Amino acid sequence: MTTRMNRRTFLQLSAAALATKPATAADAPKKGGTLRVGFYIEAVTMDPHLSGSKVDRQIYHNVYEPLLTLDTKLNIKPGLAESWTQPDPKTLVLKLRRGVKFHDGTACDAEAAKVNFSRMKTEAKSLRKGEVANIDSVEVVDPTTIRLNLKKPDASLMATLTDRAGMMVSPKVIQERGAGLERDARGAGTGPFEFVEWVKDSHLVIKRNDNYWNKQGGPYLDRVRYRPIPDDVVKLQSLQGGEIDVMDYVLPRDVAPMKADKRLVVVDVPSLADFGYQLNHGRPPFNVKALRQAVAYAIDLDQIVKGVWLNVGSPANGPISPASWAYDRAIPPIKRDLAKAKAKLLEGGQPNGFAFTLTTNNIPISVQEAEVIQAQLGEAGITMKIQLVDSSTLIANGNAKNFDMISFQWSGRPDPDGNTYQFFKTTPGTSFNWSGLSNEKVDALLDRTREVSSQAERKKLYSELTRLLQDELPMLFIVHPIEPKAFSPRVQGYDPIPDGMMRFKDVWLR
Amino acid sequence: MGRLVVHRLAATVPVLLLVTLGVFALLHLTPGDPIDTMMAESADPAVKAHLRRELGLDRPIYVQYAHWMGRVMRGDLGRSIRNGEPVIENVSRRLRPSLQLALLAMTVSVLIAFPVGIVSAVRQNTAADRVGTTFALFGICMPNFLLALLLIFVFGVTLRWLPISGYVDPLEEGWDGLRSLVLPACTLGLALAAVITRTLRSSLLEALGEDYVRTARAKGLSEWAVICGHVLKNAMIPVVTVLGLQLGTLIGGAVITEYVFALPGVGRLVVDAVFARDYPLVQGVILLIAVGFIVSNLLVDLLYGWLDPRIRAR
Repeated sequence: MTTRMNRRTFLQLSAAALATKPATAADAPKKGGTLRVGFYIEAVTMDPHLSGSKVDRQIYHNVYEPLLTLDTKLNIKPGLAESWTQPDPKTLVLKLRRGVKFHDGTACDAEAAKVNFSRMKTEAKSLRKGEVANIDSVEVVDPTTIRLNLKKPDASLMATLTDRAGMMVSPKVIQERGAGLERDARGAGTGPFEFVEWVKDSHLVIKRNDNYWNKQGGPYLDRVRYRPIPDDVVKLQSLQGGEIDVMDYVLPRDVAPMKADKRLVVVDVPSLADFGYQLNHGRPPFNVKALRQAVAYAIDLDQIVKGVWLNVGSPANGPISPASWAYDRAIPPIKRDLAKAKAKLLEGGQPNGFAFTLTTNNIPISVQEAEVIQAQLGEAGITMKIQLVDSSTLIANGNAKNFDMISFQWSGRPDPDGNTYQFFKTTPGTSFNWSGLSNEKVDALLDRTREVSSQAERKKLYSELTRLLQDELPMLFIVHPIEPKAFSPRVQGYDPIPDGMMRFKDVWLR
Repeated sequence: MGRLVVHRLAATVPVLLLVTLGVFALLHLTPGDPIDTMMAESADPAVKAHLRRELGLDRPIYVQYAHWMGRVMRGDLGRSIRNGEPVIENVSRRLRPSLQLALLAMTVSVLIAFPVGIVSAVRQNTAADRVGTTFALFGICMPNFLLALLLIFVFGVTLRWLPISGYVDPLEEGWDGLRSLVLPACTLGLALAAVITRTLRSSLLEALGEDYVRTARAKGLSEWAVICGHVLKNAMIPVVTVLGLQLGTLIGGAVITEYVFALPGVGRLVVDAVFARDYPLVQGVILLIAVGFIVSNLLVDLLYGWLDPRIRAR
């Protein structure tokens, strides 16, 4: 008995020590209160099938629920589907939870799921089309079972179903409200919170769903009130001044002072993001592999991560973030080596260096990073001009392959496929493969990672891919930033999941 | 007076036409595309092509302009590409905070500028004048965002007297609404007060040297009566010009102040729309801002007539 008690106490203590969330083991969660959240911009739409903005997802993950979910290690967990089987690589059978109801009282069953998938595939403005394109058909097996028949094997599909493509919307609301759903999501979800109102340009409010199917833990909060505060300094001051309880993102320059501020709690949420620069393989100078490599060897990632990112992130060895199961610690990031850079310049036929233009975002941290890189390359005799543009121009130049080297900041996806396939697979026309990389080995590896279902096997393939990319260099991989979030000490029970979404089900206020 | 108004209104038509053409051309010459920007996280070319077709973005630019102009003639400014909302609804919602902020900022500026300007002019080259001109210089040099952050730090974070950011409608919530506008109105008002102080001081000094002032003094009028009864009204024309020009700027151009205080105003709407390449929204808002400018200039012209009967007579 004594040993059992001791073990339990030990486990409790170690859990408390391990928890990154601002909670102490002694506190018991309590119901009530309004959580005030400051976001940098306002949501765009309340319809998950039409959404193309990250901030929308922040709200969806409290109002809607995906069929599958993620844990803090990015493992796939049951969501609206309590279990799943894969009878063959081209079939996924999902068993839905019995008795789950949408906020409007209608059943969230297999028929509802079928309606959702067909809307994602056919609705004219659907931004989910690409994500569900590989689903050939959806069959209702019985009231709580659906079968997804795929066109070809796709190991990344389950991770896709943990976000918007897996979120179920009440068919009744879709039918009755139509385009009105974009602004009014009352009754539409099954999540721990229900949509209440959205006063455009002012605030968006959700309230506790007292009939939530999962009786373990929360929801505890009465309401969550989201507000857009575009200025980072003002958002921080609003948190310090007690006007908001949560802010979605802390700039690297603010992390250290905020961690020192006793009025605040900063949580370092690992992210799946992948920031770097795509190199244009289609025109000089970077159509020459040796010159791409010369640039890679001339750049000092450690200095950039330390000096520009203030260590709020880690040097990148490839497109996959350390938060992912597929990250391979054994592969070091490319180390700076000026002698090698010079040798590569010689090999590339430019022994005295060359000049090119970097196109990047006109935001402070991107400008700083560009200036540091400019100086580093200068030491190798490479001249880099900096062209600053807004994000629309950046995307236009990227899509038109009108650049030498261009900034690329990807927020990341839970499955490594989302950080690799669309960037490095040979694709004619417009895609995120801005570099124009076309490499048979890379293509074959990318296809293989979709066909193989064993995670260990996939991880090996991604390691091989990472090594290949370090050699081919469609992209200079710079940093995997982390996404620190800040809270008032009143906020308890926040569980950071590396997709950066803030799920408030188990959050409560002291 | 009636003829003046009709004349001025008729003259606005070519101005507005030029404005719409200019904005249209500039927007389409800028690299970037609304669909690519909106769907930055999706690379599906088929969906993008479909959306472009649906929104008519695949047609030649002059066709798009003609189509847009035709709709404007019928009073339809179209819908935002980004969120599908009618442009007119978007703007009218944003116009309210902008107008309230502009009026409040003007009130703040006039309340400060008049006493300071008058004292500076009447007590020229004294310590009071130097304090006044230094204040004016400070107000003009101080960047908006810095003043805003300072005010927030002092009154919002440290003293906690006023809300840090956000907008509450004073017409609906009364006192709370007014409180939410105090800091932004002071931010804009202080800079404006500086400009008005300088203008008022110099035009007062000029008027004080006129013959009629000597006559008025010789008549035995008190200095106060001379200033308020004679000089001030004659010195007002440049001040009214500045105020009129500033009203337009305050409504459409208070971007930084709106941004810092998270106020949903017209200025931020335009900037966000430009960044998103939301063509109909940018065009609609700029058109309305241009109309606003023209109307406020017209009001200024009418005020001139009231202030100086000689202008009316011409």
